[in-house]
Amino acid sequence: MKKLVTLFLAITMMVTCTACSTSESEEEDTSGITVGAIYITSQNDTSGYTYQHHTGIVTAMENLGLDTETDLLIVDNVEEDDTQVSAAIDTLAGQGCDIIFGISFGYITAFDTAAAQEEYSDIIFSHATGYLSNDTNFNNYFGRIYQARYLAGVAAGLKSLETGNDAIGYVAAYNLEYAETCSGINAFTLGVQSVNANATVYVNEISSWGDETLERQAAQALIDTYDVGIIAQHSDSAQPQMVAEENGIYGFGYNSDMTEQAPDAHICAPIWNWDIYYEAAISAVMEDPTTFMTTVGNYYGGLAEGFIDISELSDNAAEGTAEILEEVSALMESGEWDVFSGVSLEISTDGTITQVEEPVMKNDGTEAGVIDDSVITGTMDFNVEGVVAQ
Amino acid sequence: MKRQNYFHVVKRDDVRLKRIILSYLLAVLIAIIIGGILLSIQNVNPFSYYKDMFSLGLIGNKFGYKQVEAFIKVFTPLLLTSVALSLAFKMRFWNIGGEGQFIMGAIGAGIVAYLLGDSLPSLIILPLMALVGALFGGLYGAFVAVLKVKYNTNETLLTLMMNYIALYLLKFFGETSGEWNFFLSTDSSRPLFASFPESALMIEIPTFFGYFSLNLSLVIALLICVAIWWYLKYTKRGYEIAVVGDSPNSAKYAGMKVSKIVVRTIFLSAALIGLAGAFYVSSAGTLSTSMTNSVGWTGIVVAWLAKLNTIAITVVSLLITVLQHGCSVASASYATVDANFANLLQGMILFAVLTADFFTRFKLVKTSKQEVE
Repeated sequence: MKKLVTLFLAITMMVTCTACSTSESEEEDTSGITVGAIYITSQNDTSGYTYQHHTGIVTAMENLGLDTETDLLIVDNVEEDDTQVSAAIDTLAGQGCDIIFGISFGYITAFDTAAAQEEYSDIIFSHATGYLSNDTNFNNYFGRIYQARYLAGVAAGLKSLETGNDAIGYVAAYNLEYAETCSGINAFTLGVQSVNANATVYVNEISSWGDETLERQAAQALIDTYDVGIIAQHSDSAQPQMVAEENGIYGFGYNSDMTEQAPDAHICAPIWNWDIYYEAAISAVMEDPTTFMTTVGNYYGGLAEGFIDISELSDNAAEGTAEILEEVSALMESGEWDVFSGVSLEISTDGTITQVEEPVMKNDGTEAGVIDDSVITGTMDFNVEGVVAQ
Repeated sequence: MKRQNYFHVVKRDDVRLKRIILSYLLAVLIAIIIGGILLSIQNVNPFSYYKDMFSLGLIGNKFGYKQVEAFIKVFTPLLLTSVALSLAFKMRFWNIGGEGQFIMGAIGAGIVAYLLGDSLPSLIILPLMALVGALFGGLYGAFVAVLKVKYNTNETLLTLMMNYIALYLLKFFGETSGEWNFFLSTDSSRPLFASFPESALMIEIPTFFGYFSLNLSLVIALLICVAIWWYLKYTKRGYEIAVVGDSPNSAKYAGMKVSKIVVRTIFLSAALIGLAGAFYVSSAGTLSTSMTNSVGWTGIVVAWLAKLNTIAITVVSLLITVLQHGCSVASASYATVDANFANLLQGMILFAVLTADFFTRFKLVKTSKQEVE
């Protein structure tokens, strides 16, 4: 026993010495600002939701000349549980963070509570995808991803005219349960119909934000049932695109350019440039945190800010797609027209775009009425004409 | 010639406390050294990491008292659950349904908070939440106990399956929008568990440290630990548990009603876990589908490491919470270290201690030539 103990003490000392020689000195905060982030999965992910945000924060900080080694504190794998989120907030606040980002919807209550606490009044709380905020130190941020989905829809419509197949499939995480998902489906469908009024979008819901197996099955089922010629998606993985590739049809991914995973199928994907927001938010805190809510406030950026975009069109796109998308996005960027503004576009293949004043119709035949931002982000619970959901 | 193992396991007949503690410490040290090597590979100074970890990040922390409050919220449910599980394990009833019983307790407390929270004062609503939570958890566990004594079903499988039923029931309430669903917040268009009314929040006892407030549930949990320790050691019923655990047949022979004892004990065990769930949601002020924090599983490890001894359970759950909480706090400060490393370190430490535990009770003896022949 004694021998063992001595042996281990010796090993400990050896490790200690090597560790001391390799370790860096204690961290020094030079920039005077510390960014905190709370992630739903691991910061070392190589794809998916957390990865998108982490990349965005790191890019933004590098652009602002901050050191992500010392100025960025992360608590990751934090589940949507108030006690766990509060503990993560306490940790980050205690270590001197000036702004704390929370990326998941379920963090909302804990963020709301923390922002209202007196001790934390100097800290900015910034919450993605939520709807709560206050006047001093708590905002929410999200993007007009529906604009990019409309563009993808236009490209899909053009492709459907080229192939002569009016059936388009859509693998969706959810549909009517979340405004985020059904507004995306609706925008995509309106985009498709602006080009091809006869096209139908068949939605297959998997009831999960991401599940490779389910995504694959859902895509295959759309092909087997409706003989679709295009697979679009609102789900995390590239599986639906791979299924499109295997079946010799075309597809539109989500979140990142999936042309690499499905070179012969993928056309383009709606993407988020999270760094656009993160840079705006962090630089606002660097300048003057007290005016954060007036300078940044609740952020809902889109194509105009570069926060939302579509990935580069691949060679699979129909002839002339690039020019048409250019024109349509110019309309949105200038603010002249928007997807849910109550005016539809009619786009012909030669590139002429006409604006038609007609209300958006639901697929039960009633009018959708006025669709403003709060409906798009919060209360939308219908599908437009042209959507067939199981 | 028949193949023989080179070693065989022999039970030690002299298990000394000093040796146990020493080997545990050594095991923890080994795991920490391996962790330190891994940290060095990631260019993180192991010493500053461990300093943050074992101090729970309290050193140089602007809001240290908040860390302690968060710590208590994690520690209390683990303590109660571990003590509760030890009751079942003493009787050799393998209750691995802690997760489900915890969730049922939370659902029970949640129902009371949502439906009656606005109309009743704290002093009535909190005991009621605790009572209903304990009842929900208790009945959920006792159901399996009844099946076991009546039809001799396997409680390991049943309690495991009941975990999922409870979890999906909670998910159903948490994700299904509808007029009837009082679990959901009315001002969110996405399904979101509503916050409890003010009166359903756990009482915080202000202390002389100024800001810091002590969660009442911790005090109650510690009192329950003392009560259970006394129950097992000095009461007839506590003794019956041990007898049934050792040999149900002897218990029958001694005139004990074994089935009654089993159902009663499991009800108590599961009710305490349900109570832990009720305390937890009352401290959090809302429900969530990931609130168990794996307490039903960690509790099993705690109970076994502590040899089902109530006092040792208190110490072990304290240490495990320090480990869990400290790991996540420390991981936050280092860019390259994520929560996965924290889990890895916890796993290594537990594994090392369990191995040490094995070697304090057994030894490997070389198989001699004669035995082979």
